[in-house]
Amino acid sequence: MASAASSAPSRRLSSNSGVRLRRLIDALATGVLWIMAASIICLLATFIMYLFYLGFHSLSWQFLTSAPTQSAGGGIGPEIYNSFYILVLTLIFTVPISLGAGIYLQEYARPGLFRSVVQFSAESLATVPSIVMGLFGLLIFVFYFHWGFTALGGALTLTLLNLPALVRVTQEALASVPDSLREASIGLGATKWQTIMRTVLPSAIGRLTTGIVLIAGRIFGETAALIFTAGLSVSANHPYELNPFRSAETLAIHLWYTHSESVIPDVDRVGNGSALVLLIMVLAFNIAARLAGSALTKRFTGRSS
Amino acid sequence: MIDVSPGSVDIREKLNAIHLNVFYGSFQAIKDASLKMAAKTVTALIGPSGCGKSTFLRALNRMHDLTPGARVEGEVTLDGQDIYAPDADPVVIRHRIGMVFQRPNPFPKTIYENVAYGPKIHGERDKATLDATVERSLRQAALWDEVKDRLNRSALDLSGGQQQRMCIARVLAVEPEVILMDEPASALDPIATSKIEDLIGELKKEFSVVIVTHSMQQAARISEYTAFFHLGEIIEFGTTTNIFTRPREKKTEDYITGRFG
Repeated sequence: MASAASSAPSRRLSSNSGVRLRRLIDALATGVLWIMAASIICLLATFIMYLFYLGFHSLSWQFLTSAPTQSAGGGIGPEIYNSFYILVLTLIFTVPISLGAGIYLQEYARPGLFRSVVQFSAESLATVPSIVMGLFGLLIFVFYFHWGFTALGGALTLTLLNLPALVRVTQEALASVPDSLREASIGLGATKWQTIMRTVLPSAIGRLTTGIVLIAGRIFGETAALIFTAGLSVSANHPYELNPFRSAETLAIHLWYTHSESVIPDVDRVGNGSALVLLIMVLAFNIAARLAGSALTKRFTGRSS
Repeated sequence: MIDVSPGSVDIREKLNAIHLNVFYGSFQAIKDASLKMAAKTVTALIGPSGCGKSTFLRALNRMHDLTPGARVEGEVTLDGQDIYAPDADPVVIRHRIGMVFQRPNPFPKTIYENVAYGPKIHGERDKATLDATVERSLRQAALWDEVKDRLNRSALDLSGGQQQRMCIARVLAVEPEVILMDEPASALDPIATSKIEDLIGELKKEFSVVIVTHSMQQAARISEYTAFFHLGEIIEFGTTTNIFTRPREKKTEDYITGRFG
């Protein structure tokens, strides 16, 4: 066969039927994959536009800043405040612990039983559904500690819920730093800790920040874990309190509550407005994650990522 | 096998490996290797890929401490003191025995911060002293004129050859006594390579240099002494002239004449 081909007087360069079929399949595959990728953009765009259409006329300064009422005309000011309050509180707990655990697992722990157990625990914890975590928070913080519904209980529940993901973010950010940089630092006589503080963390800061802000977006929109822990109400007298031992309904909870339980007459206005504000906030977190990540990478490494 | 008889190789050694064995798990990568490395000269380690020359080099400043599963037996002495002694501190050892790696590995920081990194981790805070150290090190590495106007630019923007010379400057900044180089020019083009070689010629006036190279021409050009490695053993050691013109071992001759490798 080979000899037949080589003895042929001239081999044509134009395609034959076999090649044409393969090219057709290639073109089809490209097209199908493009459509799948594009459908993600369409889905997001449709979703955003629909929410804007429904919720845009609810938006006003008054809506964003005033407290909810029993009658028509209530706002979502305290809910926005509570969402940020619980977010910040959660990050204060989550970030140091997950940084510490992630650094230990990635930089210090030698492969072995302890590391495997910690890794397995973190991954198992990550699969616990948020409603289960919410009920756990109810048992521990609300009943056992007798706190009742509190912002602190909600934040601690969210900490449990998001720790595994943040540990993973930390580990992946550190793993992305090439070993050659660690060798360079150690080779100059740096200790492990100096190497981590001066080389590994600065090189990983962009990815770390991106990961943290993305998880912040998730915390901001979390509902199930908060219903039974942070509660469904805001204080009528002191809606903008700093005290963590008080019930704190967040924006996402308010959205759920308005649509499912509330008896106010303007449910649609408040609900759609809340949904739109929530969406904008979460989108803002995503955009901020990218901007902050590349800005910090540039700041700490003198180069865009 | 190693000729340490008086007369043939008379060495005032700076660094001395004595019956060194290196294991990765159950695999023995270095077998009973002994080698004297002289002060203020260049010692080249040559041999085919996988012969253990880089493994040997990394045992000389305890870089294997970082590798899980790696184990070193035997002694390496620096001015007569064993760097594997229980009270020997790897941080101090690596301060005195610096290392330049195969691929340039600049920190993703400015050129200045790269070179000042070593002095800073060893506690230098004074800005004027740091400035002087950075300039001295970059001059020593023959890079100062090329980078003096952009010390605050990212080191990643330098060319590969400049990056490697900056990595050498970074090592010089901590004022080591010995510089280990692991195929420092293998990722570089011929012009950058010859600059590195010229630089090594300058460095040996002040430092003891041990260099791994896969290029026999390079070993011949820059080193005073050469050790030939094969399958984890040092087959032959001698003056570079002798190794390349009158090898005593059949394997050495086969290798340098290109019969294997």
